[in-house]
Amino acid sequence: MTDTALAHGPVAERRRGEGLTATALLAPATIFVALCLLAPLVILFRYSLNEFIPTKKMMVEAVTVANYVKFFTDPYYTAILLTTVRVSVTVTLACLILGFPLAYVVARTQSRFKNLLIILTVLPLFVGNAVRAAGWMTIFGNKGFLNTTLQWLGLIDKPLEIMFTEKAVIIGIIAVNLPFMVLTLQSVIEGIDRAVEEAAFSLGAPPITMFRRVLWPLALPGILAGTILTFILAMNAYATPFLLGGPLFKMMAPLVYNQFTQQSNWPFGGAIAFILMAVTLVLTLAANLLFQRRARSDLGR
Amino acid sequence: MAEALAVIRRRAGRWALNGAATLALAYILLPLIFVIWLAFFRQEIPSFPPEGYSLKWFAAILDQRKFVDGFSLSFEVGVLATAIGLALGVPAALCLVRYNFTWRGPLANLLLLPVVVPGVVLGTAMYVFHVEVENGLDVDVLGTFYALVSGHIVIVIPWVVRLVTASLSGVDRATEEAAQNLGANPWVTFWRITLPAIRPGIVAGALFGFVTSFGNLEMSLFLVGPGRTTLPIVILQYLEWKIDPTIAAVSVVQILLIGTAMLITDRYVKLSRVI
Repeated sequence: MTDTALAHGPVAERRRGEGLTATALLAPATIFVALCLLAPLVILFRYSLNEFIPTKKMMVEAVTVANYVKFFTDPYYTAILLTTVRVSVTVTLACLILGFPLAYVVARTQSRFKNLLIILTVLPLFVGNAVRAAGWMTIFGNKGFLNTTLQWLGLIDKPLEIMFTEKAVIIGIIAVNLPFMVLTLQSVIEGIDRAVEEAAFSLGAPPITMFRRVLWPLALPGILAGTILTFILAMNAYATPFLLGGPLFKMMAPLVYNQFTQQSNWPFGGAIAFILMAVTLVLTLAANLLFQRRARSDLGR
Repeated sequence: MAEALAVIRRRAGRWALNGAATLALAYILLPLIFVIWLAFFRQEIPSFPPEGYSLKWFAAILDQRKFVDGFSLSFEVGVLATAIGLALGVPAALCLVRYNFTWRGPLANLLLLPVVVPGVVLGTAMYVFHVEVENGLDVDVLGTFYALVSGHIVIVIPWVVRLVTASLSGVDRATEEAAQNLGANPWVTFWRITLPAIRPGIVAGALFGFVTSFGNLEMSLFLVGPGRTTLPIVILQYLEWKIDPTIAAVSVVQILLIGTAMLITDRYVKLSRVI
């Protein structure tokens, strides 16, 4: 042991050593993320306060909220925001309704195929949104599976127009987000003791009552987490609206891309990016508050 | 009588439940099933019913350099980003679980932030950042391989931190202390005790990190240079113009590779426990 360490005592040395170790462990990752994520976000925000001269396609340094004002005063852009929110809410509700039974079955099954079920649920997540959009294109196209089948059955005369509509986009995003909802709900349901459900049944509760009074309240944290995750993902969707919505259907993420690459309007593109994040955050927080109040009143009953 | 009714009701409930679950699973898998079906069509146009079946589209993939190039770039970027992401993320997770300090919460959130920020926003922000760095330091950044990798490391880190943190909190500290009491230094303790205990978390973090990087589309759109794009971007740009069995065959190859990787990983780490 060195003289200085003796002077400060072994405990102090150990403390300092621990502090150093902790810093050495955490600092590289933190610095990397700060440099490659935080700094870029700060610069993008700064850009969103700049001015843009459309005739010269040039950015001029300024400090103005004009880009934000432009977004909220132009009905063209507010309509895109509204479409994005509407699609996201629809998708989230559909995912909750469709996802709950599957999550419950996966969580409660005793079968040895449980892992296979989980892999089948997760696999589509990993093959990319574009590939899944391709699948829907094959189904919905004019000569696609759906139209050919319906015409063959004599149910319709001319092909239904689903491709390049909001319907196609909603159907597509539901399929993209459903696995996230199922996985979140499944992990929460697995944590709920089976005996609680059995108790409700043995006291004579029909399945619906058991679900409403036992399962739903206990699973509420997971329902909230899954809902928020699904909602955020839907708000940020890019590939699905781009491929299934066609050139005329607009959502926020493709709009940001368009402003950046086609219009070269970086300040406005930056502003839209921050509006998208802010709206998502505000709606998420609102849902959180609403759920918590509901949960409290449920407990009170 | 009432009891019999209750049994019937419960059985009906079970059937309804299983039916609904099957429906949801079918919904998730439906687009993949159709892509796989399309890959084996004989004719080029995706019309139903197919005129016949053929394997020629799989051979056609190799004729199109862009798919092969896109795959190799995605693979290189994915491997490099995962390796560096592990090197940065595993120590960070160790620190976040083992030490208690004032900034722990905010710093943990910072490392998990990249999952919450929309891909398009990540891409645009990094793009303007690269422009600034290029102008400020007078070096090539925009559209370079390393700029692309740095972006991908950012999206790999949250997966590593989350999954390694989760598996670390299940490790008993007493074993580590026992090793140190028996004279092992911190390095030996880490290699011989901690690392084997958190291996499932590391494997899962690496798998999810790699797959996230490999499949990333939105952020990469802004980071790739002219002439060299990743596989998801090649697929997106192709689908913007047309859908045919070639692109479906490319997708089938991708599905097979990822499915195999998941089955192999599942043998070491039960996927149901890490997700």
